[in-house]
Amino acid sequence: MKPIFARGISNQFRLTLAIILSVILLVANDRLEPVRQSISSLLSPLQYVANIPGAVLDWSAESFATRDMLKKQNKELLRQQLLMSERLQRFEHLRQENDRLRGLLGSPVHMDAKKVVAEVMEVASDPYRHYVVLNHGARSGVFVGQPVVDAHGVVGQVVEISELTSRVLLLSDVTHAIPVRITRNDVRLIAQGTGELDELELRHVAKSTDIRVGDLLVSSGLGKRFPEGYPVARIMSVDKDDGQSYAKVTAQPLAALDRIRYLLLIWPDENELPTEAKAPIEAESTEVQKAAEANQ
Amino acid sequence: MSMHIPHGRWVVWLSFLVAMLFQIMPLPSLVEGWRPDWLLLVMIYWAMALPHRYNILSAWVLGVLLDILLGAHLGIRALAMSLVIYVVVLHFQRLRNFPMWQQALMIASLVCLYHLVIFWIQFVVDVGSFDVSLFLPAISSLIIWPWVFWMLRRVRRIYKVR
Repeated sequence: MKPIFARGISNQFRLTLAIILSVILLVANDRLEPVRQSISSLLSPLQYVANIPGAVLDWSAESFATRDMLKKQNKELLRQQLLMSERLQRFEHLRQENDRLRGLLGSPVHMDAKKVVAEVMEVASDPYRHYVVLNHGARSGVFVGQPVVDAHGVVGQVVEISELTSRVLLLSDVTHAIPVRITRNDVRLIAQGTGELDELELRHVAKSTDIRVGDLLVSSGLGKRFPEGYPVARIMSVDKDDGQSYAKVTAQPLAALDRIRYLLLIWPDENELPTEAKAPIEAESTEVQKAAEANQ
Repeated sequence: MSMHIPHGRWVVWLSFLVAMLFQIMPLPSLVEGWRPDWLLLVMIYWAMALPHRYNILSAWVLGVLLDILLGAHLGIRALAMSLVIYVVVLHFQRLRNFPMWQQALMIASLVCLYHLVIFWIQFVVDVGSFDVSLFLPAISSLIIWPWVFWMLRRVRRIYKVR
């Protein structure tokens, strides 16, 4: 400690000062985001160091894999790739057809979004919240509010960035909600986190709503935060109790939130893109729009 | 007068840095709830050993840093840590003279206080549900305290930290 305060200042005074400062921080928490960002940029090397043991374990598990295991894995991946590429061929055809139909209707054509693969860093976070830390930050163009998905569905959104890392709030956090729709009948709902990793709650669902166990929920894109059409969850239970004014509906997130490893960061909207990524996609989008106009 | 010239300040801050590292180090999910409060334990040690140099305001700074590292609401751990260190600084002479087991028990109850304060502020400003597992870190801190104490005392003597 620097002797800013002369020795002999009473502990009571120091405690009062600490309490006042803490209360100021507690109240001003949301306004202090820039300060937090710069300090956590300074601290992020610490997170990288803390991540090392886990990374070393992973690396050693990989390098000690037996030939047999690798062969098996390779075979499985080849099989999956074959299945996927067949689906992709069909998808490509459908996409073209969809674009043509959309062109005929005069609606804007869907564009491919920019994506970046990010790795979850194994560092501890606030135990009261559902967070994961990613190894990409402001330097890679990550922004607050950015949607994050994995191979199965939506995972959450970025809530905090530093220079080299970012923090993602998971779907299941109590403070998180995402606008969704049912694929079967386009009913729009809001899925809110419950604090349990494998459960979401659908709030204010009228009892007359056509909703069944097993229905697939995809993001509806209405909140302008998550792009439309990413799978979110599957309905687990529908409880229409006469004593309650709304049906009690729970859903299970499709992304396995307790063991996520690799995630995709998505840059959804052209007007929200960081500048360096903006140019090529915008060029593409104007081309597509021209094509759509030509089709009209 | 030589007592008044600080010496080996970097050792103390290095110990804080290492404690922070342990605080965010990944643990298997089975023992995650048992993570001892490394930073608090190290801070308690220095507040006990050099109460005129490392006290409530250093605890406050560390608390803010920890809040930022964990992505928590700012100020929560800052407040909890300053409160605990206030208690330590008030009673540092008594704490120093306790036998080890009694000292460890005192530290464990301080860790309980720390977690209660965190829970309480969290509940007021944000979200939070009470769970008895809140106090698991107190047990692990109780077990780990003698080792932290002996190690830091050795460090203090080797580097003549004043």
